[in-house]
Formats: sequence, C-alpha cells, structure tokens
Amino acid sequence: MSLDEKRVTDQTPVHDPAELAKMVSGANLVTEQMVLNVGPQHPATHGVFRLLATIDGEVLVDAQPIIGYMHRGYEKLVEARDYRQITNLVSRMDWLSGINNELPMHLCLEELMEIEVPERAQYLRVVMCEMNRILNHLMFFASFGAELGAITPTFYAFREREDIQFAMEMATGGRMHFGFFRPGGIREDVPKGFFAQALKGVRQVMARLNQYEDLLVGNEIFKQRTIDIGHLDKEIAYNYGVSGPIARGSDIGFDVRKDEPYLVYDRFDFNVVSAPNGDCFDRFWVLIHEVVESAKIVEQAIEDMPSGPIMGKVPRVIQAPEGEVYVRTENPLGELGMYLISDGDRRPYRLKIRTPSYNNVSVLPHVLKGQMVADMIAILGSFFFVLGDIDR
Amino acid sequence: MAIDEHKLENARQLKKARKAGYGIGLIKGMAVTLKHLFKHNTVIQYPDEKQDLPARTRGVIALKEENCTVCMLCARECPDWCIYIDSHKETLPPKREGGRPRKRNVLDRFAIDYALCMYCGICVEVCPYDALFWSREFEYSEYDIRELTHEKERLSDWMATVLPPPELEVGAEVPGQPAASGAPATAAGAAGPGSAQRPSPPAAATAAAQAPAEQAERAPAAAATAAPPTEAATKSQEQAGETKEAQPAGRAQPTEEKAPTGEGTPAAATTTATPDAQPEAVKSETEAASPEQFDRPEGDKAAATTAPEAKPGTTDEAPAAALSAEDKAKFQESPGPNVEVPHETPQPVALQPTEDAEAVYKQVLQEQLDKGSSPQVAEARAKVARVKAERGIKRGPTPIQTEKMVPSAPTKGQPEPAEPSGAPEATEPKPEQGPVAETSEETTEASAPAEKTPAETPPPAPDEPKAEAAPAAGGDDDPEAVYQRVLAEEKAKGSSEAVAQGRAKAARVKAERAKKNG
Amino acid sequence: MPFEIHLTEWQILFVKLGIILALVPTMTLVAGYAEHKVMAHLQHRLGPMYPGGFHGWAILLADGLKFLYKEDIIPERADKRVFSLATFAIFVPAVMVYLVIPVDRTLIIEDLDVGIFYLLAISSVSTIGILMAGWSSANKYALIGALRAGAQLIAYELPIVLSAAVVVMLSGSLSLVDIVEAQNWPFLLWPPGIGLIAFLVFTMAGVAELTRPPFDMPVAESEIITGAFTEYSGMRFIFSYFFPEVANMVAFAAIGATLFLGGYQPIVPLEFLEVIPGIVWFSLKTALMLFVFLWIRPTFPRLREDQLQKFAWKILIPITLALILVAGAWVLYAPEAVR
Repeated sequence: MSLDEKRVTDQTPVHDPAELAKMVSGANLVTEQMVLNVGPQHPATHGVFRLLATIDGEVLVDAQPIIGYMHRGYEKLVEARDYRQITNLVSRMDWLSGINNELPMHLCLEELMEIEVPERAQYLRVVMCEMNRILNHLMFFASFGAELGAITPTFYAFREREDIQFAMEMATGGRMHFGFFRPGGIREDVPKGFFAQALKGVRQVMARLNQYEDLLVGNEIFKQRTIDIGHLDKEIAYNYGVSGPIARGSDIGFDVRKDEPYLVYDRFDFNVVSAPNGDCFDRFWVLIHEVVESAKIVEQAIEDMPSGPIMGKVPRVIQAPEGEVYVRTENPLGELGMYLISDGDRRPYRLKIRTPSYNNVSVLPHVLKGQMVADMIAILGSFFFVLGDIDR
Repeated sequence: MAIDEHKLENARQLKKARKAGYGIGLIKGMAVTLKHLFKHNTVIQYPDEKQDLPARTRGVIALKEENCTVCMLCARECPDWCIYIDSHKETLPPKREGGRPRKRNVLDRFAIDYALCMYCGICVEVCPYDALFWSREFEYSEYDIRELTHEKERLSDWMATVLPPPELEVGAEVPGQPAASGAPATAAGAAGPGSAQRPSPPAAATAAAQAPAEQAERAPAAAATAAPPTEAATKSQEQAGETKEAQPAGRAQPTEEKAPTGEGTPAAATTTATPDAQPEAVKSETEAASPEQFDRPEGDKAAATTAPEAKPGTTDEAPAAALSAEDKAKFQESPGPNVEVPHETPQPVALQPTEDAEAVYKQVLQEQLDKGSSPQVAEARAKVARVKAERGIKRGPTPIQTEKMVPSAPTKGQPEPAEPSGAPEATEPKPEQGPVAETSEETTEASAPAEKTPAETPPPAPDEPKAEAAPAAGGDDDPEAVYQRVLAEEKAKGSSEAVAQGRAKAARVKAERAKKNG
Repeated sequence: MPFEIHLTEWQILFVKLGIILALVPTMTLVAGYAEHKVMAHLQHRLGPMYPGGFHGWAILLADGLKFLYKEDIIPERADKRVFSLATFAIFVPAVMVYLVIPVDRTLIIEDLDVGIFYLLAISSVSTIGILMAGWSSANKYALIGALRAGAQLIAYELPIVLSAAVVVMLSGSLSLVDIVEAQNWPFLLWPPGIGLIAFLVFTMAGVAELTRPPFDMPVAESEIITGAFTEYSGMRFIFSYFFPEVANMVAFAAIGATLFLGGYQPIVPLEFLEVIPGIVWFSLKTALMLFVFLWIRPTFPRLREDQLQKFAWKILIPITLALILVAGAWVLYAPEAVR
C-alpha cells in the first residue's frame, strides 16, 4: 500500500517540501529534488521493502513506503488448509517469531472449541514464546547495529541466540519454524535437559546484556545517530495503531501480556518497558530492556513449571464449531491479532490476521520526512519490521 | 504501584543512558571487542566439526519401508503436497489352509520432494504405522532442484540415522502411564515424535482392526520397534561393572542442574523417575516376540530391516557393545545437552543386584529422611529401590536371551561412517510408541507393579508444589514476612535478583489474598 | 655496501619500480588477511580457515581469482571513458605513496627533500578518482557516495596536513628521514603532549581519510550500497575499491609510524636493541597502527555526514591550529629544547 502523497504532506505541515527545500538550500541556492528508490533490493530494508524517497541533497523531502512485494496470500491460503497445516503456515509470516505467530491461532481455536489447556502446556507455551521473543529482539539488536555500521553486535547477538535456539530446537526440532503448538496444548513434552539449556541461554543473555550496552547503547557515536532522530509522536502512533516496542518507545505503555493477559502471563512478575521520547534511541532501548523482562519470565516459568499432561481433551478431528472469535497476543513486534470465522469445517472460513509490522511501517512517512538519508537507515532499523509480517 | 515504581526507575535509567558520555562509551566499546579477541572461540568449523544436533531436529524424513501400508495419510495431510506414493495390490496365498487369499498393498514408489517440503513434520506425525521418522541428517543438497526428489531407497537409507526419541523433562507425563489429571488424550503419544494427536496406540489399534493374518504379520514389527531399548539395556548391563559404576554419580549431576530449583531432592527424584515403564515393558515384549523372530529366515529382507535379528552366533555382539560404550563415552563428554540417550537411564543399575532388598529399602528410607524428604516420599522412594533390588536379583544372572539381540543395519543402508552422534545406537531406531506400553500391560503382570511404582512416585517434582503451597498453607502468615522469607529462599537457591524479588512479591500477594479469603 | 653494482639511472628506476610493484600488492594482501582475521577474532569468530590450508592464508588470493573471473560490467548509461579511467586515478596514487616512506635509515625508494609534502599531495589525488567514478556511473547511490567522499576527503585532508605541519615544525625538515631522526625517547616528539595530540588527530583524520568505519559514509553499505563503486564489478572493483583501501590503510599506518612513532628507530634507545634492523621496528610500529585501524572498524557505528563534517571543522581543525600555534611558540622561544 502506498500512501497518498498529498494526504501525507497535509498532515505534517511543519515539513512542507518547499519550506524544507528552502531550509536546506539557503535562500539563494537553487537545488533540484531527486527521487531515490530505496529497495526493494537494498541492504537496509530486511527484505523486499521499497521506499520511494524524494531527496534534496541528503535530506528526505518525502518518503513513501511501498509494500506488497512479498505478498503470499496467507489469509487465502489458510482457507484451504486444515488447522494443523495452518500452524505451520502462520509461523512463516513473521519468520523471526514463528512460535509467537502460532499462538493466537491456537488460542482462537481453543476458545471456539472450548478446550481447556493443561497448566504445563500453558507454562511451556509461555517459555517458548518468551524465548522466541528474546531471539527476535536479539536479531533486531544485531541488525540495528549493522545498519548503523557497527557490525560486531551481529556476531555477539547470534552467539547468544544460538544457545536459546538450541534449546528451542531440542524441544521442537526446528530453529525458525517450530510448529510446536497444537490445539489443546503442545505437540510433545520437552525433552530432558531442555530446562537447563533454556535457563543457560537466558541467563547468559542477561549476564551479557551490559556488554551490549557498552558496545552500542553507551557509545557516543550511537547516541549521536539515534537520540532525537526519527521522532514518532505519541498521537500519530495511537492513530495508526502502532504497537510493540515502537509504541512503547513513544510512551504508549501498552502490552497485551499485561493489559489483557492470555496464557498464564498474569502469574509472572515482569514490567512493561516504555520510554517517553519516541526517537530511535528510545525504541532501541526499549527493545534491549524487553529482553531482560522476557528472560525473567522464562526463569520464573521454568521454576514454577507444573507437572502433568501437555494436552487437553481434544477431539480426534480438529473442527472448530461455527462461530467467530478475535484473539490478540503480544508478538515480539507488537500486537498480533487473529480473527477466526468458522463455519464448522475442518478449515477456517476466514482468518483475518492483523500483523504488527503492517501498522508499524504505516507511520514511516511521518517519521521520515525531513530526516537525512543516513537517518533514514537508522529509522528503518529502529522500526523493527519483518517483511513477511507486513505482506503476509 | 509496582509498575509506577518501575516506570520511574526506567525513566531514570533512560535519562542516564541518553546523557552524553564524552568518549567513555567509545573506550568501553573498544574494551568489549578487545576482550573478545582473547576469548576462546565458540565457532564450530562446520564440515570438519559438526554440531551435535538434538534428537528431534527436523533434518530429513526417513522412511521405514516395511512399515508403510500405503494408507496415503501422509500424502494427504502434507500442506504442500510433496509426497508421491504409488502402489499396487498383491494377492498373497492364504496363511492357513482353506483360508481366504489375502490382499495387501505393495509400495512401488515413495518419494518426497525436498524442494517443496516445508519441514513441518505433519507426515511424520500422522503416520499411523510408524513408517516415517525425522532424522538429523541435513546434508543432501543437489546441484539440480529436480534431483531433490528423493525416492524410497534414499529415504530408507536415512533410517540408519534416526535417533530414538529423547527422554522427557522433569514433570512430564510418562508414556504408558495413565495421566494423573485425567487427560488421557496424549499420554501415550507424548513421547513419540509422531502421534501426539493420536490418543490410542496406533499400531495396535489398527492392527486389531485388520484381518487376523495381517495382524500376525504386524506383530513382529511391533516387537521390532520395541526391541532396541532392551538390547541397549542389556549392553549397558554388561558394562555395569565398569562404566555404570560411575554413571549414577555422573547422571545425578546433570539432573541436579536441570532440576529447576537446584535443590538436592529433585535430583534424587529424577534419577528414580527416569526408569520409566519402558525397559520392563520392552523386555517382556521381546520375550514374547523373540521365538517368532528365531523362526524367520535370515535372508528375509523384511526381517533383516525390521527386527533386531537374533543371530545364533554372538561373536558380532562384543564389538558392537564396545562401540556403543565408546560412543556413550563420547556422548557423556560432548557438551551438547541433547546427547542424553534414553538407553542409559532406564537401567536401574544404581543398586547391586546381589544386595538384600530389605536392606536397600531401609538404607534408602534413611537417606531420604536425612535429606529432608517428607516421610511419604521417602517411603515411596525406598519402596521403589526395594523393588528394583528384588528385580535385580531375579534378572541378574539370566540375560541370555536378550544378550543375543544385535541390531542389524538396514540391508541397503550403509551405516553412516563414524559419526560422533553415535550412529550405531541409532541403527535400530525408534522404540516404544503406543504398542509397547499397551502390550506390556496386557501381557506381563509380573512387571506391572514394578513399572508402576517408579513412575508413580517421582512426578511430584517435589519442591515445586511445596514452594507453591507454602504461602497458601501459611495463609495467616504476615504477608511481609512471607515476602522476606521467600526472598531469602530464592536467593539461597541462586535465582537472579529480579526473579527472586518477583517471586517474593508473588508470594506476598498470595499470602494477602489468602488472608482476605480467610 | 659489500659489493657495488653500477646501474644507469633508468635501470635504477626500473628496479625501484619493480620493488614497489612487488611490495605493495604483497603488503596489501598481508594487511587484507590481517583485516579478515583480526576483525573476525574481535567479533568472536574465526574468519577464513580453509583457503590455502593454514588458517585460510590464501583467502585473498582466492577472492582475487574469483573477481578475475567475474564479468566486467559497465553500465550502458555510464560515461565509459571516465568510468574506466577512475580506476587508475584511484589505484595509481595508492601505489605511489609508498615511494617516499623510509623503511630503514637507508632503505627508501626516494628520499625526497619534500617527502611529507609529496605524501600528502599524492594521497589526495584519489579524491578526484572517486568523484570521477561516482559521476560517471550514472547511478544515484554512486553520486551520493561520491559527493560524500569528496566532501569528507577534503575536510579531513586539513587536519592531516595540519598535524603533519606540527611535526614538520618541530623537526624542522620536510624530508621523512630527517623527521624520523628528529624523534627521540621518551616522548617521540618533543615537547611532550603536542606530539601525542597531533598523533591522535592524525589517526582519527586518517581513519576518515581512509573512509573506514566510523567514518565510512561514502561507502556505507547499509545506506548507499558501496557509494561511488556501486556499479563496479570484477577486477575493476578490486582495483578501484578494495585494493586501494587496504593499500592506503597500510600507507597511513606507515606514515603514522614514521611521523609520530619514530619510524625505524627502536622503541627504547638501548644498545642491544640497535642490533635489530630498523625494518623490523618499522614493521612493528606499522602493524600496531594497523591493528588500531582494524580494532576501531568493527567496534563503532558510523557517524552521519553532517556530524562528520562538524567533527572535522569544529573539533579537529581548531585543535590542530592551536597545536601549530603552540609548536610555533615553542620553536621560536625554546628552540634548543626541541632537539
């Protein structure tokens, strides 16, 4: 979807192109605007994201995100597949947080079918989701550094990821697409050594987080590049339905886990990290600190882990009764909602997916206008989006 | 309120983080990278070294051809239709005189197009006859995308690399054990890589539904799947003298780490818990099935690939055992936590078979009480120990029958050369599943109580409920006191600061609630 | 000299040329390999391990070979003559820098009287080459990159020249050999402090001049692909981007070692250290400088273009100007203390 240029310019009167051009060029110098096509193949766009940037020198006069290069038609695909197959499909939407994508679909089903999920399964789901969240956040920590030119965080982050990912692999057999949740519980119980490995990975991340802060957050160059860059207004964020770390970076302390607890999130002690300034630095800061909160949840969940079955009473054929349900969960990148309409078949009649990245990138034109080309990259990096999540 | 506090703290930290640092941050960053220059590297040099992947890793799908009945379930369930199956019907002569001629499906082609496969594992999961397995192998790239369609020969070759399903984590429901909370749906299937969805033991159930002749044919297969653990068990019993002596200790350590709370008791709990129903069930199963296997002609392909053949001469067996011992040593050394092979644990060898059962009972009871376990738990554990000891005496001298069981590699499959992951063990993969548990309970009354006791006692991963219960029970406690106590406890346990506080807070809240509720 | 050979001037010239043409690529390969490995270990990985057998020593040869086989693509809309000339405009100066660097007391290709002047002059020629490349590519990214590079290289030329001027004032000569001789223990450049500050400025400006992180906006990969060299491919890419970058890096390390670290002199003026040939000391110091360059690279994120300009004009240049004043005053009022 490309935003209408006119509408965009109307909404931000401060950054009127003509004014901007004057501002940039000085009174006498005549400059010419140039349209710079960033993407869909560009190192900074994490995939096939395209940005049509009108630049004057190095300053962005206008920026239009163009998406849809990766549209795979998930919402239509799932209509032709049964629920177990969908599990493995939806995990490929946001490929950095596969298991978090599986969750709302199963919550939908369980609500429709009135399945009670055993405690142990719920706890294990929480553990998995939070570990996945850490993986996702570390990934963006890495890529944000790389986009700003610091290549080292990438490698450190991937080293940390490995331990957690190994734990996930022990349990699920997959590294990105887990396909681990089933209606009524989880596919199979975790193998021996999983808790130890998970705790090891999580504690390691917590212990090494200050290193990362030294490496990036405390770095003066990094601060120069991020503080007061790419300001996202709280108001705009509200209006566009921005969620996740980006919204929390703009002082919107909204977290589905806290405000509308699902699974057993209300039993854990964790905080919603938020920051008031709404710039790149704050978004990144929120991201880093959410890792700690997730790690805390994983620790608590594993310590409290009840024993027992991992599957509720589930009919042999998963067949949601007629009805509709909307479930939203906190994906690592924001609020992920799934609206399931069932006509009683083995497959959904309709599954509308509200993905966080989609709403999050919609505000980009507001944020990008008036910034420099180099800042554009910092802003794109701080918007933590996954293309598959936008285009679906 | 807590959130507000946290918000303030957050804001303070953020303010600090946003302050200009005048170059100190740069130096700190340089120190971080410099430190890493001298750190030991964790890189795995891939083609030379290989990561020891977990047993559940979805690498490639292996096919156990003789188990396939061409039911087409996998092909139908596959989300991207990448499984191709062709078959024809064959008429077999009647088994008994005067019987009807039997018909059966013969598999002509079974191919998976790995260029299309999305590695979701649904086919493995739905297969009712245990013909599909996940293997950890992942090196099967080709130069042409069309060559990624692998036929059944190639798929069968991978059978040699399939690992048995890993043992489950503390608190998991033991397969074959009725669920404590009455959710029977997946109790049986929980351990299998496949049939989580399938409540009933699939092979047995379907076999029953089929013609009697078919059933007879299927029986040895079931036995075959059941056999390997036994075989492994015997091996380990042979080594009990040398290696196993050390193993209880060696095992205790990891379990202690694993036990979430890090206390001493869960370690003991898990060690007793680990011998789940399997070995016993399996043993009886093989006893029942082995005569039949003896009868089979040796050249029979089906027998060769399915059943761990009973070879008359035991000459081959010694090196095999030695090899597996070596491998086990490797397993123990290698850092990956996934390397635990269930074979090792089910053996309750901690106790010498010659020991007097009654003495063992007393000794264990005393130990448990000293440790601070509750009397009931201690008693239960002691009973388990006694049962084990008794059994040990019974079984000790005569493992002859099982000793002869040597896993034979699939006829075609060249066993993958010297893999660190212990291919030898893997040659005969995939134990248990439904049928094992089922049949064992039916056929062997003798071992039934024995297998139940160990399984019953351990699950109360003991201190968890206690920790939960403590604040609730002491409801009239002052919440503040509870908070302090839990905090201290948590710290002693070694939980991180944040978690300790969180848990303490939770306990306080609980105490408050309990107070309110009276 | 134990033996004498009589060569005509032309022959000597050819020998020198041969030495340079053999030496520069070798050093570049070594430095490039060092870059691979040092950066890898700073980042907690191993870097290349296979090419050549031992710790991947032949990685750059393999890389070069690979590039050799790649197609040489010149965009249709590009100004083809300028596009291909740019490579030479960048590559040749990178090699010519080495002519005047004194590797040992007598081991120098050409001891020019105005050595340092030549050095600074020749090293800024490549700016033109980059502008040529960027403009002729007919690519917006290349254009932005070239403009960035032009602005940056010119801005950072100044602190380098000025800090070198401080050295020249204190040592009283433009000849690099004389400059090295003028440096003494314990502070290589007397008076203390001035030399150190000048050295720091020189290093920072040097990193910027090399367009290496944190000053690598002209080629910032995540923003403008490879800047001016976006359209270059195959061997042309190697000779206009990769090779000159590494060669320049080595040259700057060598210049830094010569101007500020005492060149071929031993670190501590002790009798027994004199035995070690000057070339060893020189290489050690160059390697040290190189390591600093390699260490900085993976650690820092990059600055923004305007921040970079601010840094040059508002911080580095005033500092060096002040240094020149101090050094001038010192030379004027206490000339005997300089030596």
